[in-house]
Amino acid sequence: MTNEEAKFILGGYRGNGRDASDTLFAEALKQAQADPGLGAWFAREQAHNAAVAAKLAEIAPPAGLREAILAGGRVSVSAKPWWVRREWLAMAAAVAVAIGVGTMTLWTSRATAAGDPLASYALADVKPHRGHGAAVAALQTAMKNPAMRLSAALPVDFAELERSGCRTVLIGKRPVLEVCFEREGRWFHCYIGRCEDFPELAAQQAPEFASSGEMTAATWANGTYRVVVAGRAGREVIERLL
Amino acid sequence: MSSDVFTQLVDAHYAPLYRFALSLAKKPADAGDLVQQTFFIWATKGHGLRETAKAKSWLFTTLYREFLRGRRRDSRATSLEDLPPGEADVTAEEVDRVARMDAASVVAALQEVDEVFRAPLTLFYLQDLSYQEIADTLDVPIGTVMSRLSRGKAQLRAALAREESAARAKVVPFTGAKGRTQA
Repeated sequence: MTNEEAKFILGGYRGNGRDASDTLFAEALKQAQADPGLGAWFAREQAHNAAVAAKLAEIAPPAGLREAILAGGRVSVSAKPWWVRREWLAMAAAVAVAIGVGTMTLWTSRATAAGDPLASYALADVKPHRGHGAAVAALQTAMKNPAMRLSAALPVDFAELERSGCRTVLIGKRPVLEVCFEREGRWFHCYIGRCEDFPELAAQQAPEFASSGEMTAATWANGTYRVVVAGRAGREVIERLL
Repeated sequence: MSSDVFTQLVDAHYAPLYRFALSLAKKPADAGDLVQQTFFIWATKGHGLRETAKAKSWLFTTLYREFLRGRRRDSRATSLEDLPPGEADVTAEEVDRVARMDAASVVAALQEVDEVFRAPLTLFYLQDLSYQEIADTLDVPIGTVMSRLSRGKAQLRAALAREESAARAKVVPFTGAKGRTQA
């Protein structure tokens, strides 16, 4: 093995000692011990690797990321068995309707938001935040109106809201508008995604409720938008908004 | 999978996953989104994986695939034919340079490295994965990992030098109030 070949191999040697017993590096390591020039190169290489690794280790994830992951995971890992999951219920409902069994309201209330990334995010996102821009303010005003039934008609212009600075979050790379509003002295989070961006979810859907900890979320879809309203006020209060 | 196991999994891996994501996506918000998406996929699909020992590799692989999936097609992907010729050995001055720089500047330099080298290089510096696991994560042969580490380190050293020069250029020497007049 030439020194250049040894350098090539030792370039992949981790400085934390985890590769010490790896036979791939054995010959090159022995050569570095025997050859002062190669040994000096290896020492500088390791020092540089360690310096960069130490700087990288200083980068801390943003505050709240761990909690958001855990909250999202809790509502996801508690997914029900396959025979009561949404797609199977939907299939069962379709079959039931097709054969004239009649009403199927099995999935109007679920304990979790399993399978719905938008509802999962809403349940996990407990931080207060404000929107920006005139379009957001107009929507907030409309949502604040006690007479406004949110599930009936929500004045949403997705493109305009997005353009005018409405807070947008990416859920699985899909943009979702986020607007907070006050009703009955309580604050609620409203998330609005385009149905076309969530083809795996029903485009038409009556309000469904899910909960996680103190958070309760109502989710519905009107063919154009998929909307989630979430808050700590409880199901009864949220039902009054719809 | 129980909630406790999921919490342990998150605690063990979310920080290095975030650092890897930040080096790829460059923006903290996008990096956080990638990490959340990765754990979301784990929670909805990956928890069927029986061998939890493989969870680490699975998470890094999934995050990388999610990054590639969401990346715009016109991103700057350097072809191997465009690679520079052989690189010089690391010097003592280059070691000192890294020690002098703050972590954010080092990450900024790392983000300048072409993506094809940046992914294995970041995984290498995280020190969580062996070269074999890096090869599995990125779905390339071991020799390619070694080659990309070598090339990536050379690019990183050049980027670190540029980053430090840029930082120095931003420092305006204080000349004092002598000669100034107040309007």
